[in-house]
Amino acid sequence: MNAIVLLLAAAGAYGTALMLGTLGEILTEKSGNMNLGVEGMMYMGGIFGLIAPNLYEHAVGEGNASPAVAILLAVVASFAIGALAGALFSFLTVTLRANQNVTGLAMTTFGTGVAKFAGELRRLQVGGYVTLSNDLKFAFDNHFMPAFLKKIPVVGPILFDQSEFFYLSILLAVLMHLFLTRTKTGLYLRAVGESPSTADTAGIDITRYKYLATIIGGGISAMGGMAYTMTTAGCVWIEASLSGTGWLAVALVIFCTWRPLNAIWSSILFGALMIMYLRIIVPFFPTELYKILPYFVTIVVLVITSMRNLKDKQPPASLGLNYFREER
Amino acid sequence: MNDGMRTPLIRLAKRDEMNPRMVWAIRIGSILFAFLLGTIPILMAGENPFVSYGIIINGALGKPGYIRQTVKRAIPLLGCALAIAPCFKMRFWNIGAEGQITMGAILASFVAITWGKLLPSPLLLPLMAVFGIVGGAVWALVPGFFKAKYNTNETLFTLMMNYIAIGIARWLQGGPWEGRPGTQLIPMFPEAARLPSVCGVYCGWIIVLVMVVLVHIYMNYTKHGYEVAVIGDSINTARYAGMNVGWVMMRTMLFSGAISGMVGFMLVSGANGTLNSDVAGGVGFTAITVAWLGQLNSFAMIAIAAMLAIIGKGSATLQTRLSVPASVADIVSGTLLFCMLGCEFFINYKLIFRSKKEVRA
Amino acid sequence: MRKLTAISMALLLAASAVFANGGQEQAPAKKAETAAKKATKIGFVVINDESDQGYTWNFMNGMNAAIDKLKADGYNVELLVKRNTTESAICKDNNLELAEDGCEVIFNNSYGFEPFMLEAAREYPDVKFIGMTNCGSQSDGNPNTYNAFASIYEGRYVAGVAAGMKLNQLIDEGKITKEQAVVGYVGAYSFAEVISGMTSYFLGVRSVCPSATMKVYFVGTWGDATLEEAAAKSLIDSGCVMISQHSDTTSPALAAQKAGVFHTGYNTDMTKAAPQASLLSCRINWEPYFYTFIKNYIDGVENPSDYTGTMADDAVTVTDLNTAIAAPGTAEKIAQVEDALKSGKLQVFDTSTFTVKGEKLTHAFALDTDGDFVPDKEEAVYDGAFHESKFQSAPYFAIQIDGIEWLNAAY
Repeated sequence: MNAIVLLLAAAGAYGTALMLGTLGEILTEKSGNMNLGVEGMMYMGGIFGLIAPNLYEHAVGEGNASPAVAILLAVVASFAIGALAGALFSFLTVTLRANQNVTGLAMTTFGTGVAKFAGELRRLQVGGYVTLSNDLKFAFDNHFMPAFLKKIPVVGPILFDQSEFFYLSILLAVLMHLFLTRTKTGLYLRAVGESPSTADTAGIDITRYKYLATIIGGGISAMGGMAYTMTTAGCVWIEASLSGTGWLAVALVIFCTWRPLNAIWSSILFGALMIMYLRIIVPFFPTELYKILPYFVTIVVLVITSMRNLKDKQPPASLGLNYFREER
Repeated sequence: MNDGMRTPLIRLAKRDEMNPRMVWAIRIGSILFAFLLGTIPILMAGENPFVSYGIIINGALGKPGYIRQTVKRAIPLLGCALAIAPCFKMRFWNIGAEGQITMGAILASFVAITWGKLLPSPLLLPLMAVFGIVGGAVWALVPGFFKAKYNTNETLFTLMMNYIAIGIARWLQGGPWEGRPGTQLIPMFPEAARLPSVCGVYCGWIIVLVMVVLVHIYMNYTKHGYEVAVIGDSINTARYAGMNVGWVMMRTMLFSGAISGMVGFMLVSGANGTLNSDVAGGVGFTAITVAWLGQLNSFAMIAIAAMLAIIGKGSATLQTRLSVPASVADIVSGTLLFCMLGCEFFINYKLIFRSKKEVRA
Repeated sequence: MRKLTAISMALLLAASAVFANGGQEQAPAKKAETAAKKATKIGFVVINDESDQGYTWNFMNGMNAAIDKLKADGYNVELLVKRNTTESAICKDNNLELAEDGCEVIFNNSYGFEPFMLEAAREYPDVKFIGMTNCGSQSDGNPNTYNAFASIYEGRYVAGVAAGMKLNQLIDEGKITKEQAVVGYVGAYSFAEVISGMTSYFLGVRSVCPSATMKVYFVGTWGDATLEEAAAKSLIDSGCVMISQHSDTTSPALAAQKAGVFHTGYNTDMTKAAPQASLLSCRINWEPYFYTFIKNYIDGVENPSDYTGTMADDAVTVTDLNTAIAAPGTAEKIAQVEDALKSGKLQVFDTSTFTVKGEKLTHAFALDTDGDFVPDKEEAVYDGAFHESKFQSAPYFAIQIDGIEWLNAAY
């Protein structure tokens, strides 16, 4: 039992990055835009979320850098680059009517290229590795909750022994849930994703909703990359480790049936499955095979929801399809 | 009614036809624009863009050895694009080529490892190819089946299948097929299991060129190809015409997976000489862009695959000669794709600007 | 679409004709100063790049230092590097390309490169190929292939001693009991290179702290921040108070620091990354080997087909001790141990210091000559110790000794 508690607590770190990536993509997909470029956006968020505080620290000098400013810069920089990428995606798919799958894949190639390029360039500029001074580093993965909370049996380590980004993502998940289910704007967004032609007739500005959802969603996803780089990777740019996280987030969106609240526990679950072989030994079952369990489970969810055709567990009906008013 | 509302500043109207010269002009213009944008990262790296582009081309085509490397890069790209084209023509978004290649590679490797020392090349290689084809085909059939029967979202299904295939390959590397215990490396295949070279490159290039012709014939001159085109155009029309849409979907996926499986076989037997989980190496995704940019035309895809291979190989040389990171290839490829995707809009739609002399309704 | 193809290919070729020479002019222009002698080109195929802060960073530092020293000594050398090479066909292509570009000596720095390097080596019999950390090149019958490594187990032992002293300090201060002196090791793969390193490390710890035990997790990859951090955390959660690693990133050091335990590293000095946890690291100093090999090649002197650098050659060393957190007396003890190792008085794998399934080790073969991965030649146990790195540079100690618990043997 204890091993499982510890496993889930440890999974919180990687799970945070997944959660942010998933939440961003949920928002995007709710509008009907399937952005397969999440991988590229997370890469870009990861590197720019590191370069921003790094530049700041070099500008003001080590020792003068304020951790709060550094964190703020990381968040803003990664969100901004993700938002920019989301805007580009929207421009191509909504305004220029390009195919979403291909555009998303191009975004992945482009985004990973930009991120690797920026990382390499910065490394050459500083002449060493791109990282932050230790004071700033510890501000990022600050498990700031008071110790007595962390010691509560079972729940303590899992819920309270986490970095600040963990709580940020949970907050975002709750806000997104409220937004989608309780606000008028959220309802309109869902309508756009389900049936754009109907929404259009009702006077909803399809273009604006798709753009905004993709831009904000892209920004949130990119923050996931930043959270990964600054916590798990210890504020060092290691491109190989981030690989695959974006795709896992795309899988997660399906697994949690496009509901933000589900994203909270399912990202921890997926995170746990990835590192389970380092904590709990399952005899006879090869490690690599249970590392692909998350994907397998996602397929099962996909199949079951399509078989039963449960209305509320389906992807948004117009997901991946561009809306052409002329063909209404 | 439009009383009190003015017509929008810019309106869109779909074009029926466009002068072919204009079409090419727009396309070439977008390619040049993309290369222009590509100079930005090079400038940021502090190098002269024209020199850099020169090195890229030189690095890809300057010597026979370089050309061989470029061809090696282009072979799986082109092969996989051929696999994806029929699916995309049918508007079946098969993002699973990566996994289908891997599965084909796994089955072909199985033959190489089990019978590699027992059978001679002329028997072994075709057997490996057959197994590879079957592996890829079956892997593609699964999502195809569920799409046909339950309309399960194929984009997401095929995507997940990729990672399962890669996971299986990793398990084989570290488990049953491991060479030196603990290293998680599969030993190199025996000589008999390796594809022979022609002109210094493994004969995959010949196989792929043959496949170009075959796929072209399949798509344009057979009943199957016709059915695929109709379904892609309008699924309802196909149904009214009495086509068994579900079966055509599955059949096309079988075909697509078969080609991907063939590519997988070529990669383990010709290029790598062994199996590792990275055998596809992202080709399944890049090939989608190749297929799309080539407008699903087999011959055009040769040019696009060549172009991407040149950029990729050239950028690797660029990193060795100057210190421009090789990832500039990804940036340029991505930009190229964005520009060409964007320019299609201008080809398909006409922009009508609000004129001053408008008469109010 | 065919017209487009023709036009664009024509444009590209035209552009290449104009600009291609531009690229080639750059290189000669830069070499104008040393135009007299033709530069000897040295190729280097590496996994990752310098930003891994570990494995390749360490190699590149050694190589760059060697090149600088050669140039200072009047040799005309030029270095070409192929970074981020994967253990696949790309590796073979990179080797071929470097050979095509005129490289006369090509080094390969990762274990998994060797099979591909050997294929390239067959096509260029005049070029020297060196596969580091592996063992196939020196026995493949080709005179142009070489292996090289170092007796890093000596460095591991010394690091272990520093770790053991710290554990003793913790025990003396009452922070842990004798039984709680557990060391956690984040290993990559479960084959000889890693096993040799972790065992020597453990023996170093136990030489000063007799009650110490060790637990190992194998992550299954040379470097992955997520997995290494997860492994380190898992080890810490199961009671380890000293973490070490055979993996490429600094994640285990950071994890140790976050948890308030201690750490020794590998490949690079990790004390800057984790100043409150990391004591020191052990590393291979590649500069002497690269310098000597290239110098010999240019001077026409034959190089050994297999080379093992030792602590006595300055090829194996530990990084500066983090005196702020190290136990008092560690620096002196380390100096003592290093001297004993260099003079040969101290044997790391002394068979009286460990048991295998309760028995003393009396026999073990070192080399595998028939390709079945089971050692069958060259007795390694003699004179009371297992002699590592004597018969080949690549480690061959793959024995599981008592006291080390493999937490995931599935790999």
